[in-house]
Amino acid sequence: MSIPMRGFGKTGVQISALGLGGHHLGDAKDQDTAIKIVHEAIDGGITFFDNCWEYNRGKSESWMGKALRGKREKVFLMTKVCTHGRDAALAMEMLEQSLNRLHTDHLDLWQIHGVAFDNDPELFIRPNGAAEALAKAKEQGKVRFLGFTGHKAPHIHLQMLDTGFPFDAVQMPLNPFDATFQSFEQQVLPRLNQRGLAVIGMKPLTGKGEPLKKGILTPDQALRYAMSLPVSTTITGMEKLDVLHQNLRIAQNFQPLSPQEMDSIREQCRSLAADGRFEHYKGSLQFDNPEARWAHHYPIDPEQKEVKEMLLETTNTGRPYPEVPS
Amino acid sequence: MTESDIPGPRKIPRRDFMKGAALTGAALMGGAMTMAQNSNTQDTPSPAAAENPVPRRKMGGTGLDVSVLGIGGFHLGTPPDAAIATEIVHRALDAGVNFFDNSWEYHEGESEIRLGNALKGRRDKAIVMTKVCTHGRGKDVAMRMLEESLSRLQTDYLDFWQIHEVIYGNDPELIFAPGGVAEALLDAKKQGKVRFIGFTGHKDPSIHLRMLSHDFPFDSVQMPLNCFDATFRSFQQQVLPVANKRNMAVLGMKSLGGSGEMVTSGSILPEEGLRYAMSLPVSTTISGIDSLYVLEQNLAVARGFTPMSADEMAALRDKCRALAGDGHLEKFKTTKQYDGDIGREQHGYPPAKELPI
Repeated sequence: MSIPMRGFGKTGVQISALGLGGHHLGDAKDQDTAIKIVHEAIDGGITFFDNCWEYNRGKSESWMGKALRGKREKVFLMTKVCTHGRDAALAMEMLEQSLNRLHTDHLDLWQIHGVAFDNDPELFIRPNGAAEALAKAKEQGKVRFLGFTGHKAPHIHLQMLDTGFPFDAVQMPLNPFDATFQSFEQQVLPRLNQRGLAVIGMKPLTGKGEPLKKGILTPDQALRYAMSLPVSTTITGMEKLDVLHQNLRIAQNFQPLSPQEMDSIREQCRSLAADGRFEHYKGSLQFDNPEARWAHHYPIDPEQKEVKEMLLETTNTGRPYPEVPS
Repeated sequence: MTESDIPGPRKIPRRDFMKGAALTGAALMGGAMTMAQNSNTQDTPSPAAAENPVPRRKMGGTGLDVSVLGIGGFHLGTPPDAAIATEIVHRALDAGVNFFDNSWEYHEGESEIRLGNALKGRRDKAIVMTKVCTHGRGKDVAMRMLEESLSRLQTDYLDFWQIHEVIYGNDPELIFAPGGVAEALLDAKKQGKVRFIGFTGHKDPSIHLRMLSHDFPFDSVQMPLNCFDATFRSFQQQVLPVANKRNMAVLGMKSLGGSGEMVTSGSILPEEGLRYAMSLPVSTTISGIDSLYVLEQNLAVARGFTPMSADEMAALRDKCRALAGDGHLEKFKTTKQYDGDIGREQHGYPPAKELPI
């Protein structure tokens, strides 16, 4: 079986219309399960693999790296750098670490992670900011394409585009709730399409799948909605094999929704979308990782998985990423 | 009757609009207009008996004179000992402060109860404001809350009744829906239970502007105003000129970040923050005070208040600009930290203990 392939912006590269999210991969039961998820995803037709330097304190990248041994050329590999306003040298250090963990000498796409604060664009483009690292890494052949991602506010994305940096790709939340509330779909997507940039949708199920649990949308409706937008791929998290199987089925049988069907889903969600109750990544810090919070002087959350892992590291178990007791 | 006596409910003629409009033109062109330039709100000495009393200003188009410092209601409920709250209110009144903020939902009513007790026998010396916490619900809920607030505050009228915490994207729509809380405000005013009506929120200037875009006779509006707000998602830039143009009573809040974060982080001194907020064209600056130490600190600033010059204000804004850029000293705008549980419940959000920030 295969799933539809689409053009990655104007690069000439083709990628799968469904992408596998790196954060949830690190939430898999164990390393063997994570490797199995990656292998079955590749067999099912997924070529786009998402990751990030800070996901699960490196575990997400390490597990994906192990899973991709001997299969690196079959996939389009993305990871993200977590400078959050800090400088180019730090970005280059993170790049080397990401490459090591992912067992590869190059990334297909390297993105600025978590562009979520109003001054991120200005800190990115400043002299000695992360923009310089992106350009340098591309020049050195360590990365093929460059992009950024964020889940907070459309105006911050637009400011990133206004820096004039030659991005190849942009990632953002796209789902039926976003469609009518502080909307990336309305405010950012058309501009990216116009410029021919590759668009990577994320949070098709709004991050933690609350509207699905509450019966407001089916997984099929939500995922098909996101994939029917003018995007290159839609990243979704799959920490279990049965979730992978369900999503592969939807993607393998994918038929775009008609404009009328899209409208009807938007209408179905509109009143519940209006206060952001299902999009906590826009109005709270729940989805902001400790690296982002630290760099911007916000308090970290002791209940967050990454923070627990960070604290456990001080116990020096000898493991690179200690298991977090839940 | 002395000048400081606040009479009960009565009709206040609307003030001359043109005067306010001319002032706003200046504010729009110059960014922040300072108190020094704002003859409409020129401070006058308080008629209170105290020596060196806190100065007073005209309160928008209400005809009232209000002290430049107001006492925040939330923090009255914070000290474990209610006697501290009473002492704060009494000392504030003695110093010439006459504005007291509150809300139906602060500390499950304890803040209103404490203020009510503290004002016993001195109700007529105070401008009492409280807020209604419908958070999208209709006017029946609002009127029940009004009766509870009046009873807790031991009074038969409020000087100001405001819609609390207008912070969610769909709040304006729900407030002005048929049978919504906006109708309750008008009814309560008509019944003489409240003299003036308004709204408040700490989240987003665009939500305030949508509230003001309705053809509705708000007398007052409350918003965060501080030297960080001045350059970040700015109520000062976007909302204050509109409110001034309408000659509304503007109630500034969160002059030090909501919980003093701007001071405790070492970014500014308390007197810098308070003086900046009080130097804007506002009626009063509401300050949360939970100890006699903070009260005396803030009273000292208010008593000796002289407006900052335009240059001083600009210099402070510049000093704060870089730190203001990601909103970490204004967490009420960028996180859930300052959003109350009752509003969260009405809007389908988890409570603070599950989603603290």
